[in-house]
Amino acid sequence: MNGWAGKILRVDLTQGKFEIIPTSDYVPTYIGGRGVASRIYWEEVPADAGAFDPENRLIFVTGPLQGTMAPTSGRFMVAGKAAQTAPVEAYCRSGCGGHWAPELKWAGFDAVVVYGRASKPVYIWIHDGETEIRDASNLWGKDPFTTQEMLWEVHGKEARAVTIGKAGEMKSRLGIIITDSGDASGQGGYGGVMGSKNLKAIVVRGTGSIKVARPKELMEAVYYVRSLFSSPSKPGSPFEPSEPGFKYNIWGGLDRGQLTGAPGELWTLCSDPKSGYERLPDACFACPIGCRSRVRGPDITSGVAQCTQSNMYIESIMKYPEKGYSKLTWEAGRMADYYGINAYEIHGINPWLTACYEEGVLTKKDTGLPLDEIGGRQFISELLRKIALREGFGDLLAEGCQRAATKLGGKAEELMWVLYPRAGKFGGYREHWLYYAGFPDGYAIPPLALIWALDNRDAMVSHNFVSQLWGAASSLGYPPNFAEAEELIPVVKPTMKYAYGSEKAAEFFTPDGKGLKWDWAPRVAKRFFERTILKDSYIVCDVAFPFLYNPNSKDHVGDSSLESRLFSAVTGVDMTEEESYEVGDMLCTLERAIQAREGRTRDDDVLRDMCYTNRDAAGRQYRRDDLERAKDEYYKLLGWDQRGIPTAQRLRELKLSDVAEALQRKGVISS
Amino acid sequence: MANRKNRLLEKSDSQDQSAREIPPVSRRDFLKAGVAGLAFLAGGVKVRDMFDMVALADERQLPLAKGVVLVDKRLCSGCRTCEAVCSTYNSQGRTSSALARVILEKDYLRGNYEANTCFQCVEPLCLAACPVEAIVVDTKSGTNARIIDPQICIGAEDCIEACGSVFTPPRPRFDVERGVAIKCHLCFGDPQCVKFCPYGALQFKWSDDGVRTGYPIVKEG
Repeated sequence: MNGWAGKILRVDLTQGKFEIIPTSDYVPTYIGGRGVASRIYWEEVPADAGAFDPENRLIFVTGPLQGTMAPTSGRFMVAGKAAQTAPVEAYCRSGCGGHWAPELKWAGFDAVVVYGRASKPVYIWIHDGETEIRDASNLWGKDPFTTQEMLWEVHGKEARAVTIGKAGEMKSRLGIIITDSGDASGQGGYGGVMGSKNLKAIVVRGTGSIKVARPKELMEAVYYVRSLFSSPSKPGSPFEPSEPGFKYNIWGGLDRGQLTGAPGELWTLCSDPKSGYERLPDACFACPIGCRSRVRGPDITSGVAQCTQSNMYIESIMKYPEKGYSKLTWEAGRMADYYGINAYEIHGINPWLTACYEEGVLTKKDTGLPLDEIGGRQFISELLRKIALREGFGDLLAEGCQRAATKLGGKAEELMWVLYPRAGKFGGYREHWLYYAGFPDGYAIPPLALIWALDNRDAMVSHNFVSQLWGAASSLGYPPNFAEAEELIPVVKPTMKYAYGSEKAAEFFTPDGKGLKWDWAPRVAKRFFERTILKDSYIVCDVAFPFLYNPNSKDHVGDSSLESRLFSAVTGVDMTEEESYEVGDMLCTLERAIQAREGRTRDDDVLRDMCYTNRDAAGRQYRRDDLERAKDEYYKLLGWDQRGIPTAQRLRELKLSDVAEALQRKGVISS
Repeated sequence: MANRKNRLLEKSDSQDQSAREIPPVSRRDFLKAGVAGLAFLAGGVKVRDMFDMVALADERQLPLAKGVVLVDKRLCSGCRTCEAVCSTYNSQGRTSSALARVILEKDYLRGNYEANTCFQCVEPLCLAACPVEAIVVDTKSGTNARIIDPQICIGAEDCIEACGSVFTPPRPRFDVERGVAIKCHLCFGDPQCVKFCPYGALQFKWSDDGVRTGYPIVKEG
């Protein structure tokens, strides 16, 4: 097989047994990554299985591009029933970068499907087609980095490992799966799921290869991608391009290394060569961009961190504005990594605790936390420790912010709503660009609201739509989130026309500027989800793909054919961009079928009431009836009924007859 | 080692035409050329980062390689694009770190990245060690790179061992699937790792007079 390694490894931890199945059972139909994971999940995970039950599958899956030179192909997806989704645990997914994915492919496997529960802590060792379950008693309790070092002593430095920290071991819904020096699968609580299976790590080492069908074509495509995203560095500075005016093009506007930290104390130290602090380039496998950087210094915990971890403790900047981004800000994120805690949930927990404290809903005594010192060192270290060890109030927080607040109820719950905007049964994910320029006082943009209502986690994790807005801001000379929304419209007209078929897709506001225009939102959302699911299936990184905004060209029009070109060259399975969207459409419906089986209907595709009463920076509002109308049209476009459930006819058209029958048997759709 | 040295001499005499065109170089010649070479290398690359200078032998029979891929460590992000493109290009689309002729060693936790390239040595021990003379100087493309002829290679891996006696990791590698050794041949004058390195950390240094790199000038600890 070209592209795919050809084998999927199934691991039954209860029995301690392995089974190998051919990847060709799933591909090319489901492509790889999230597509294959969805199909496996559909077939294997009972609707009533809990996230921490042995029946749940923890699916580590790569795509056809992993292990090749395709740009940003260092990634893999983790999927399964998510512990974080609230109030009902449900199917979700979370991606992770680094260097683990290619190593798994070179070891001979496209995916590892883990189920059951080991009777004691174990890890899985996979090397060149050989598989083994090993005792992990001595690793249990160790942080992810010490764990990796101990594993390297046994298996050699070339082995790559995904591991969990204390949070995962304690079945925290904030538990993450982490690899290398900070790459993590954060959302979904899959670290907790891994912990529930008594699985500490999966270690891989491969000396095999992945065959590319058309190497010359792939190299040409990659060279083109590289020219769009990267120009060699200026001598002596990896963060500055040698070509004057060239933008490294992270989400249209940001530069290389810019997803680590912000100006302040630490950056000042790093830019002084005599200080002993350094900021160095770092990239995932085959990535031409290198969005983050590595930071080290004599009295800080060194490592690599992306925006999520490195900017986790914004409160420290607010508390000590004179320092700006400080050593403490940096170390807080690293501390979360050492415990294996989802830093993005801390982005929710900290402002929620702040609000609860200010409103008098929670006290220092209730929580055992120095709530009057939020932003300080003691607060964050106690908070993270309590969460990781499930100690006192931390036991509640380890259930995730939404679950914790709901349990407290009353005002505490209300104060959470603003941060967790999707209502219904499938929320649990903190706000992530529901508004351009942030929540709650950014700009209302209709497609963002629709996408948020429909997704099964924080929707903008795939930054493709919002990247155009950031890119336009950057082209106008603003930092990505500092432009007025009206200013962006003329800049994004050509890019929206290219991406969605009409300049009208860029007209978000009524001519008088007082209201929102929703007419293009359903079509935009459809293409958004298709591209997102394809990106997660090939697998490439959402920092680069889909490439919808080119900061280095005059009209800023990107190129959304890159992914299908890479796929075709690697696998030899020819697929045009248009054909790829048909697959994306099918995968969206398959995922929706899974959700429907787990109880999701249009009543769950809703936002918190306050999203409709809140006014944005220009005084505009999302309106409930507009969103409902947009949902009607979106469901129609996808061939779903007005309850938001795929119809039997549509499922059959998509060659998912077995899915239709199963939903009929279950009474989800009528026969 | 003595045998290898002898074989090096024999080989250069019998096999390589251009070898005869270059007269033996005296220590004085080296000093002149060496200084020029250093100035040439100093452009953009911190020589001391890469080199541990030792004395050059008085005599040299093989023509110097005209090009070499060098690394500016400070620019490297450890993305391993170099490895991926090298194996894709040179192993007919079989992509793997294990098949790359440039070997990136990455300390994932501490962040020290070393892209280890072949130095195209002044006195290539790999060439000397090959029992069947499968390693030759690439005069055809004009790079004078030390290359392995896969038709001749019998997979003895002596080249890997010989290189490993001075360099860690050894630059030639073993292609298990095909049963032959592989090594950097500068992509016949257009090294793809250099072309695809997104950071410009890899640089192709060229001199018509030949580059004085690798054994016995450079040794790795």
